Amino acid sequence: MAAWENRRVISTLVFIPAWNEADAVAGVIADVREHIPDADVLVVDDGSTDETAARAAQAGATVASLPFNQGLGAALQTGYLYALRGRYEFCAHLDADGQHPPAEVARLLEEVRADRADLVLGSRYREAGGGEAAGGEAIAGEDYRPTLSRRIGTSVFRFFLTLATRQRFTDTTSGMRAANRRVMELFSENYSPDFAEIESLQLAVREGLRVEEVPVRMLERVGGSSFLTPLRSAFFIFKGMIVLLVGQFRPRTSR
Amino acid sequence: MSATLLTLAAAASEEPTVQLTSQTRILAALIAIAFMALILELIRRDSLQERFSVVWFVAGLGMLAGAIFPGLLTAVADLMGVRDTNVALFSIILLLLLGLALNFSVIMSRQAAQITRLAQERALEKAREQTAGSGESGGEAERESL
Repeated sequence: MAAWENRRVISTLVFIPAWNEADAVAGVIADVREHIPDADVLVVDDGSTDETAARAAQAGATVASLPFNQGLGAALQTGYLYALRGRYEFCAHLDADGQHPPAEVARLLEEVRADRADLVLGSRYREAGGGEAAGGEAIAGEDYRPTLSRRIGTSVFRFFLTLATRQRFTDTTSGMRAANRRVMELFSENYSPDFAEIESLQLAVREGLRVEEVPVRMLERVGGSSFLTPLRSAFFIFKGMIVLLVGQFRPRTSR
Repeated sequence: MSATLLTLAAAASEEPTVQLTSQTRILAALIAIAFMALILELIRRDSLQERFSVVWFVAGLGMLAGAIFPGLLTAVADLMGVRDTNVALFSIILLLLLGLALNFSVIMSRQAAQITRLAQERALEKAREQTAGSGESGGEAERESL
């Protein structure tokens, strides 16, 4: 155990939260290895009931399996915790369903490595300057097109999060992020299991961390379907607003 | 002004106070005793931890006290300024249950957080074993440790 804590420092960890993504996970891991060759790859298996963990291990990733499904927030926190304890300098995470091209994750990592920000988000909605494809090289796959309910939810969250943080965010629920150790320290202890994406942004800004958005290209998902139905979206939005409101009154952690 | 107050007071004193019949009092006492017996039995069978049982036992005692001394209830109602003892009784019970339910939500939240952290620690432990195993002898060590 001590060897693990004190091993040679590999500075970057890319982790992938995955819940029943057996079909897509191996491809994503291979993609990450190709585009971010110097990073260790961890798959946080969130209590999958299919072959996700086995396929991920086969593909050469380290697998942290939660014994039962805990939700995205807990899975992401597991990744941050692993990165913190493993003494990685930087970490990044992306979805396991193939929506997030690892080439774009590499660009997010460049931002934190250059110390231009503590936490960098990949934004589907922020326009890239110049109209050129952001990634440079062509990324194969169909471009991401948000559904109507997703667009409504996004704009509501955008409004309230901007209100709460006084910083402009376009893609508040982006699951493609890169971070340094300050963020790992914060998120491994304080991370809402219910409303991971939005509350974490609010928290990071409140704690005085530099949060930055980078325009990225996202693709249509390879397998599976979004969990959001219109009714769920409405509930999701309602819950998000309450979480944001409560978050405004949360005491700052002493750091 | 003072005249209306006087008439109100007069009306209140004339109104017959709500009295429980001895039948209902006996029934209430029996229910209270049965309730406390149930609590004790649950503790005995390890279905209920002592620390959670205290509040229920106190509730049972309160029920018993209310059944034996009905004057207690009217006294409390007077103290609250409520004319109808039933309203006083229901308000008190409602508030108590509300508080209890909130208390349980707090306990559940804490335990959910603890369970999550426990699950995360276990996941990290297994990932650690995997990296240690692959460093030495490929995947074999990992499978053994599972």
